[in-house]
Amino acid sequence: MRRTNEFAVGLAVLLALALVVAGALWLSETDVNQKQVNAQARFRTVGGLGVGAPVTLRGVRVGRVEAIRLVADEWVETELSIDKNVELPAKPAVISASASLFGEWSATIVPYDEPPSDPNLRAALAESDRAGGAAWPGATLPDIGQLTAQASRIAGDVGVVTQRISQAFDSTALKNLQKSVQDLAAISGRLVTFANAQTTRIDRVSRNVTTTSDAFAGVARTFQGAVARLDTATKDDQLKDILNNGRASSADLRQAAADLRSVMTAARENQVSLIRVIQQADTLMSRIQSGNGTLGMLATDSTLYRETTATVIQFRQLLTDIQANPKKYLKISVF
Amino acid sequence: MTHDSRLTTYSPPRDGFITHIGRRSLETFRAVADVPTWSPLLVGQMRRLGVDSVPIALFIAVFTGIVLSLLSSYIFTGAVPLYFVGALVGKTVMMELGPVLTGMALAGRVGASIAAELGTMKVTEQVDALETLAYDRNAYLVVPRVLAATLMFPVVTAFAMAVGVTSGWITAVNLLDLSTPEFFKGLRMFYQFKDIWFGLVKSASFGAAVALMGCLQGLDSKSGAQGVGQSTTRAVVLGCEAILVLDAFWALVLL
Repeated sequence: MRRTNEFAVGLAVLLALALVVAGALWLSETDVNQKQVNAQARFRTVGGLGVGAPVTLRGVRVGRVEAIRLVADEWVETELSIDKNVELPAKPAVISASASLFGEWSATIVPYDEPPSDPNLRAALAESDRAGGAAWPGATLPDIGQLTAQASRIAGDVGVVTQRISQAFDSTALKNLQKSVQDLAAISGRLVTFANAQTTRIDRVSRNVTTTSDAFAGVARTFQGAVARLDTATKDDQLKDILNNGRASSADLRQAAADLRSVMTAARENQVSLIRVIQQADTLMSRIQSGNGTLGMLATDSTLYRETTATVIQFRQLLTDIQANPKKYLKISVF
Repeated sequence: MTHDSRLTTYSPPRDGFITHIGRRSLETFRAVADVPTWSPLLVGQMRRLGVDSVPIALFIAVFTGIVLSLLSSYIFTGAVPLYFVGALVGKTVMMELGPVLTGMALAGRVGASIAAELGTMKVTEQVDALETLAYDRNAYLVVPRVLAATLMFPVVTAFAMAVGVTSGWITAVNLLDLSTPEFFKGLRMFYQFKDIWFGLVKSASFGAAVALMGCLQGLDSKSGAQGVGQSTTRAVVLGCEAILVLDAFWALVLL
């Protein structure tokens, strides 16, 4: 029993010890097989970089921060363990930066000959490099807190500027400005209306001038043609023929006028006869309309119409009866 | 140390609670010097108090890891990267829940066992018989138990830590949208060696306190079986209270 107890206790203790040691080594990523090499980097400050933070090269984790210590001349030296088989830049530099918003920091190895664009970072690397020694130059990017503080300062400045603008443009100034803008808008509207009206008038005047100019051109052309024809007529004695023709035409016109006067006299006589005929016709029509005479009675008395209609009806009935009973009216007998 | 002087070390609890605890603790501390008396009994107590308590500690650790993993994923989803589940499970199991829950479980099991055993010995006058035989009861009964618990609680806690983290990892991989490398990334991200030894140191102090409370309450038992039952209850309650007080103490001192 005693031996069994000793074995069980010994086994438990050894197992627990092994678990603790192995777990601690595994969790701390201790380099048991010496697969890593050590390097030092020198910073003015390491920011939030801590022991155990990852060391990355082009985004790939290649080691961890083993130690951080203060050294002379206000430098901070970090001990980095880096995988042996990693091909490092010819002259490496280390940038300590926040890896996430949750407090993670990492040390990134970059080529010193291709420094980052940030002038402060370049200056920090150059200063670290000038310190000499075997340690790699290092620089630290501001962490989220510093960036936030900077943003807060900027926001404060913007607030001050806004406040000043607000003071310069108080409510009265703003109203005046609004009034000025409204006046300017009204003036602009009137100017637009005036410009439109003037444009319309100018267009009309321009069209009139064009029309007048065209008319003048036509007159000039007509006059030029007339002058040309006159010139031609004067040249070939046609003017004399024209005058002779005109004289003959004038004689014809006088004759025609005399004929027209005699026709008008005859017409005036016929007009008297026509008036008389019209008066008689008017009288006749009046008598007819008043129902005098045979035609008047025919036109105004409906007795004849009714008699005629009754006769036609009777005639139709007769025809119908004849068609229905032909033997009643026609009696054809050969013998 | 003569037999007569050892016989005069015991006195019934007539004074205040803290004074009584302090006096008994000093007596126990003095009795540690009597190595020939307690050393043959130490391994047996280590087996009984430590090794035999491993299953209950592992049972608690398994479910602690599962719950922590699920709970942390519930908290972190959408706000914090999920690999922080590994960090939370590791830190919590190693620094707090591993030692404390194991200590609580062992306070029930070990503290009650010690108090009942010693209380029965007390009311059946076996303790008096030991003293009649010139045994220092502190050296014979208290020291091996306290030492065994002090030594074995860290062992049990180490197992609980490993199992708790492992169950958290298995839960994260199987029930959460988390891969093994991500879990280990979180686990390693904020790990410090202090995380482990802090939990082990705490658990050693818990073991000492639980065993001491069990021994003191057992040896102070009165009035037969009822008194033994009361002593057992008080041993468990005082053991748990001692664990919580010590937990806060170590957090103040070591963190």
